[in-house]
Amino acid sequence: MTHEILSARSITKSFGHDRVLRELDLTINKGDIYVLFGSNGAGKTTLMKVLSTLHPADSGEIMLFGMKSEENVRDIRAKIGFMSHETFLYDDLSAWENLNFYADLYSVHNKKKRIKEILKMVGLYHRSHDKVRSFSRGMAQRLSLARAVLHDPELIFLDEPYSGLDLRAQEVLNNLVIELNKKGKTFFIITHDIEKGFDISNRNGILSNGTIVIDKELDKANFSEKYNEILRREADERN
Amino acid sequence: MNATKAIFLKELRIEFRNKQTIIFALILSLMILASFRFAFSFIDFSLTELASPIIWVTFFFSGMFSLAPVYKKEVEQGTRDGLLLAPISPASIFLGKFLANFLVILGLELFSLSLFFVFFPVPTPDMVALLTIIILGTIGFAALGNLISAISSNLSQSEIMLPVLLVPILLFTIVMTSVSSTSEIFLGANLNEIFESIKLILVFDIVFLASGYLLIDYVLED
Repeated sequence: MTHEILSARSITKSFGHDRVLRELDLTINKGDIYVLFGSNGAGKTTLMKVLSTLHPADSGEIMLFGMKSEENVRDIRAKIGFMSHETFLYDDLSAWENLNFYADLYSVHNKKKRIKEILKMVGLYHRSHDKVRSFSRGMAQRLSLARAVLHDPELIFLDEPYSGLDLRAQEVLNNLVIELNKKGKTFFIITHDIEKGFDISNRNGILSNGTIVIDKELDKANFSEKYNEILRREADERN
Repeated sequence: MNATKAIFLKELRIEFRNKQTIIFALILSLMILASFRFAFSFIDFSLTELASPIIWVTFFFSGMFSLAPVYKKEVEQGTRDGLLLAPISPASIFLGKFLANFLVILGLELFSLSLFFVFFPVPTPDMVALLTIIILGTIGFAALGNLISAISSNLSQSEIMLPVLLVPILLFTIVMTSVSSTSEIFLGANLNEIFESIKLILVFDIVFLASGYLLIDYVLED
């Protein structure tokens, strides 16, 4: 039996005259690793910000954990994690201090134990007291994932998580996502890169012109073919 | 309250670890006071009459310098959304940043005041009255400065927009009242004699703090 964690119905969002999201529908179930692909400018980041309560939708309804998004913002935020291509980390603070700060914002219980546990999970315990400024992009992304899951959220949003990561760091990140998924965490990931995102997903979608045009299980070859077709069509429309 | 405390401590930790803003603000205070000292060494003037404007001009500019990056650095460093996504009231962000900024500005002002007494040999005024005005004036300055720093952080050219938005309001409220009461203190007034000014500054403080507390939600919303 599927347990719906997120349901979005007829979501629209515009910035001035630019309609970024158009009557978009999406459902995410518990245990999903839903990866949404889309070209640059397709509206992926806007969608993620709207779904995660950071931006209000212009119209439509979003339900998260059975609660209306706009009416239960703080309760919902306590149950979601968000990792962006921006790490949300303070360069002048150490890894431990960054997590300690966010642990206070999320009222994490037994925070010292939890921070230690989470730093070990992302392989950064030995760098706990080093400033984030001294971290490589891959290390900062891993710490950013640690920050996103610190408060044990049920649903984790990852916005272009592979951005700037080398192959090894991408593999480490994917392993962490799979490990957390096995522990019951649900993921909603957006990326433009089918090679990096497809293999860890158990559901996929393609966002084009502000709406999800494909939302079904296909094998990688068929999915890639569809995706490339959409990218070509978008490029033609732009020209 | 936990979130306010966490933000307050984070702000102070970063401020004192980075030191950049504080050092520049200290140098700015020194330069302003030295410039006044140099300019006034060629003319006859009454030190006790000019003490108040010299002190408040110095406070004003060094304080504004430290206010500019309060919200802008969250935008530049990409941590703003991290704060907004936390299950906390935006008012906690305002209060945490306000408290940290109040302490930093007050520290800068006490440094400037000490320098002022070194550069300008004036008779020591009623220090309780003087410090009361400085503390109350700084509360309003930091409260309004934080709110306007948040507003301007969303604008391009925020460094220019902050003084453009802040100066007119602050000048005709906190600064004007503080300058006149500080003048009275240097001319010999004590705490009781400036009580009306204290009440007026307190009203400004309450209005600015309440505005920040109530409006920050709308300001931080994109």
